[in-house]
Amino acid sequence: MLIKEVMHPDPVAIPADTKLSEAYKIMQDKGIRHLPVIENFKIVGIVTDRDLRLATSKLAEHPFDPQTSVNNIMSRPVKTTSPEDPIESAAQLMRELKIGCLPVVEENSLVGIITNSDLLDALILLTGVHQPSGRLDIRLLDKTGELARLTKLLAEKKVNIHSILTYPEKDRSIRLVLRLATMEIKIIAQTICNAGFEVIWPPNIACVK
Amino acid sequence: MCQIIYHPSYSKYNLGESHPFNPIRIEMVVDLLTELNYWKEPINPQIVVPEELYSIHDKKYVDEVEAVNNGKFIEDIEQIGLGTVDDPVVPGMAEGARIQSGGTLLGAELLIQNKAKKVLQFGGGFHHAHKNFASGFCIYNDLALAIKKMIDAGLYVLYLDIDVHHGDGVQEIFYSNENVMTLSIHESGEYLFPGTGWIHELGKGMGRSLKLNLPLEPFTEGESYLEVFEAILEPAMKWFRPYALVVQSGSDAHFSDPLADLMLTTQDYQKIFKKIIEFSNLYSNGRVIFTFGGGYTLTAAPRIWSILYMLLFNFELPDELPPGWISKWEKKLNKKMPVKLHDPNPAYDPIPRKEEITKRNRELVRRLLDSVSADWL
Repeated sequence: MLIKEVMHPDPVAIPADTKLSEAYKIMQDKGIRHLPVIENFKIVGIVTDRDLRLATSKLAEHPFDPQTSVNNIMSRPVKTTSPEDPIESAAQLMRELKIGCLPVVEENSLVGIITNSDLLDALILLTGVHQPSGRLDIRLLDKTGELARLTKLLAEKKVNIHSILTYPEKDRSIRLVLRLATMEIKIIAQTICNAGFEVIWPPNIACVK
Repeated sequence: MCQIIYHPSYSKYNLGESHPFNPIRIEMVVDLLTELNYWKEPINPQIVVPEELYSIHDKKYVDEVEAVNNGKFIEDIEQIGLGTVDDPVVPGMAEGARIQSGGTLLGAELLIQNKAKKVLQFGGGFHHAHKNFASGFCIYNDLALAIKKMIDAGLYVLYLDIDVHHGDGVQEIFYSNENVMTLSIHESGEYLFPGTGWIHELGKGMGRSLKLNLPLEPFTEGESYLEVFEAILEPAMKWFRPYALVVQSGSDAHFSDPLADLMLTTQDYQKIFKKIIEFSNLYSNGRVIFTFGGGYTLTAAPRIWSILYMLLFNFELPDELPPGWISKWEKKLNKKMPVKLHDPNPAYDPIPRKEEITKRNRELVRRLLDSVSADWL
């Protein structure tokens, strides 16, 4: 999954001489938290709602006046990403830098923005249930042909696979969660178990090992 | 008094010998009640014509279902959920689904015209049928058809779904409707088909806080089930005050069911049915329609639905099943039948996670009530 598939295109951006009060109003009106700062079509900084609140807080030693321009408080240089990058690279960068968004830049111009909410949406898309289906949870050996053997069995039973999710486990095994278009998961699970696969869900499948 | 609705041609809805949704389930109940001398003459419903289904399904969907049913080849019929392992194309299935829809619809008409207060429909309950696709053994949504009839007459309806699977089709069709409350109690979609029915699915727009779901932990037992069932159903009915209840009484939350993992016994079902009748007397003027639904153990489903019937007619529950019925069905199915109406006690080995399951279900109902409390004024 690429950044361009989940990013917000045409993000709201502001010039560097925007006043803090104006930036605050834009965030309120648009319901957003991040504003890239642009000069000569190039991104020069970024302000977040948190930057604004901290800069103007009465608790600060020298609070900024709401009439100050954003270039006094914005973060720079800005970490950016590209529309063709995979979303996991953005997620890793955001976690590493402990930041909540990345402007998306292509040929020096701002084309989008990706925030942690977009990454959560991507997670929902990857793991969620989008069509009526039952869950089959398998522990698979991490070796060639195992998945093919499994899906062949399902195809023979005429069961459509709506989604497959995998993640690594210890001891060279792979957890595989499939969403199958059938109510009869237990009956399918028995066939799969009989073929030598380890079925985690549904439980208590009486199969011939 | 209760009115029975049934038609012998309900059995046309037959998805094949090895398919779990077997019309023999209904036949076994009728036969058991006949053997007990409890069987009353049912009213026969009329078959609904395809056009009547346009009120809840897309016209294109209905027309395609009827076309393949009549042998027409349609490219990529899987797009509407047919020709799949759950919903194979079987000649006669559309007529079967339409006559059963007619039954549930007749129940609604009897209630609207005040000709009956309690109705037991010996079929129907196709809660997985969606607006424009078939799913989970269901083609036409008889429940939605009946509910639509009632709300079009200006009435409020509470749809209660105790089938072990989430009642996704009915919920979807009325998701933003303000005259229908849906409450589905099922095994959590994290594990079981269809994968939906979470507590955050609360309805949209005017239907907000009127769509309720209790996704229970796998291996939930009767005691915990009844606790959370009452904890949500009573406040919901008290607040919503529906004209009538429509109940999808699937019996597949029974511990022996081959498709799911809840642990209800026949004794639990008796308590659940009693509660529903009690609440309908208190909060919906005694008006309630029960339909059948899921329930795929031939040794359990007939007993559970017979119990519902006997409770509705105030018949005495026999301890033992009639020997004639037992021997007849043992011979027909080549399967050992239970001797007693109720399950043995205990019916199964103790569940190791019992305490945790009870705690989690309790927490679930609390969170659900928290979410709707702001709207239930």
